[in-house]
Amino acid sequence: MSSIDVAIIIKARSDLAHRLGVDESEIGEGQVEQTDFPDASLGAPVEDEMSAQVITPGWRIRLKAGGDTYEYRATARQLRLVNFKGRNYRV
Amino acid sequence: MSRNLWFNLSIALALILIAAFAGRLHKWDWHRSSQHTSQTSREREQTTTDPGSDESDSSKTEILVRFRPNVTRDAIENLTSRLNDEVEDRIEAVDGLDVIEDEDNRSADEVVAQYRALSEVEYAEANSEIKLDHEGAGKHVHANDELFYKQWGLFNHGQDGGKSGADISAMQAWAVTKGSDQVVVAVLDSGVDYTHPDLAGNIWTRPEIIKQYEDEDLTEGAIDDVHGFNVVEDNGDPMDDNGHGTHCAGIIGAEGGNEVGISGVNWTVKIMPLRFMDSDGAGTTKDAIEAINYVINRKRAGVNVRVISASWGSTIKSRAMEDVIRKAGDEGILFVAAAGNDHSDNDAKPHYPASYDLNNVISVAALDRNDELTSFSNWGATSVDVAAPGQQIVSTWLNHGFEERQGTSMATPFVAGVAALILSTNTAISIDDLRTRLLISVDAVPALKGKVATGGRINAAKAVASQ
Repeated sequence: MSSIDVAIIIKARSDLAHRLGVDESEIGEGQVEQTDFPDASLGAPVEDEMSAQVITPGWRIRLKAGGDTYEYRATARQLRLVNFKGRNYRV
Repeated sequence: MSRNLWFNLSIALALILIAAFAGRLHKWDWHRSSQHTSQTSREREQTTTDPGSDESDSSKTEILVRFRPNVTRDAIENLTSRLNDEVEDRIEAVDGLDVIEDEDNRSADEVVAQYRALSEVEYAEANSEIKLDHEGAGKHVHANDELFYKQWGLFNHGQDGGKSGADISAMQAWAVTKGSDQVVVAVLDSGVDYTHPDLAGNIWTRPEIIKQYEDEDLTEGAIDDVHGFNVVEDNGDPMDDNGHGTHCAGIIGAEGGNEVGISGVNWTVKIMPLRFMDSDGAGTTKDAIEAINYVINRKRAGVNVRVISASWGSTIKSRAMEDVIRKAGDEGILFVAAAGNDHSDNDAKPHYPASYDLNNVISVAALDRNDELTSFSNWGATSVDVAAPGQQIVSTWLNHGFEERQGTSMATPFVAGVAALILSTNTAISIDDLRTRLLISVDAVPALKGKVATGGRINAAKAVASQ
């Protein structure tokens, strides 16, 4: 699998800053790791979502803000925020 | 004279001893030879006997009886005892389905008639022995498709570190049937690339005598469903822009024996592409229901669609989806569903739609090329029915290509494909019989004991034999 496109990380940072209502400069990058997710929803289905049951290679992106860690999951085609205030989101 | 006599007697004795010893040698040699011969015969029997055949007392009559849902285990035991029979086995995958052994030397027809006469019985049928018939035994049909050597799920001869025989016995099944263009399988997925060169000939096209799809909630009139239905965009073009649906379709029915790409479980079949998942491989419950509703509509309109292959799911339970899948069963449509990839127990944490407890649903786990449950596959001693190949599966992909994927998504179309093979030889088979036939024809796999209800891997050859 190719390395992660920087644009995906930028998109995740921007999304998190927007959700938290803070400046992007306050979002710190934790780590990016390559992994296999259990399905096409990257193991993070949104409400009422069915997904293809195929192992999906992608990246787990952890970002830090205000002392908390937030998890995004990505492939080259999609980005998801995991368990943000109890819910998953397609970004 | 006496010296001559003694000399002659000595010679005679010597000759007798030599003859006796020679005879003993011969006898010993013959005995050894006969031992060897009989051993060879035994070996020969072992190699020609179906390893899955039942070695138990075959002289006793066995039948399959399904008792009605309200009949308790105690009542079943009492009934069988009263008829001087015994419950030989329970088919846990099908509620109330028991193997009954007759203890008073009646014929199968007599025993079946006895049980059919009981109000507690939903159906009873003879337990016809499932084996390769004599003509089919040992016969194989080899596919000449370019990538067939990679298709361990169809023919595993130990390639790439796999276990020889850990496959669905497709080549033996093809000696009986390679499928039929009269059987339609709905691939409920991200659509299908119906122009793929290894699929195009096996894509369903709505016959002119079947009217265009009309649904009450369609505001723009009828949909020209030439090849299927796109629920996401509400039109008649189910083209795949993800790849997943195309991959699943290829496992069921990529054209076989055409020297191109791969071979499907069916060389010939009709794939009905349905698109309810988007380019990310995700869709909504409501769109899945709409797509199943479309299949039911087409069935009622006269299309011989008997199988839905559903390689998707979530942990969300929907009464509405359960109802529409049940309705599909009422229309004679089998629903084959992926058990899920969370490496968890579906008995404890259900995965839907595979976990709906319906008579027309088959839940499928994934095996690797060594007959081991894959590291990702869900299982369920009561809620997952069978397993099928689901790792390193090569199949059709976007841009007319071929790719490898893994998941219970891949295992599911193997089972849907075998269902289509059965239907190609027995178009009138009921949904109960189709499901039962799939489940009782599995190969027992040690790694699946206590993990799936049948404890086995799907076997196409047994499933299509002796119908």
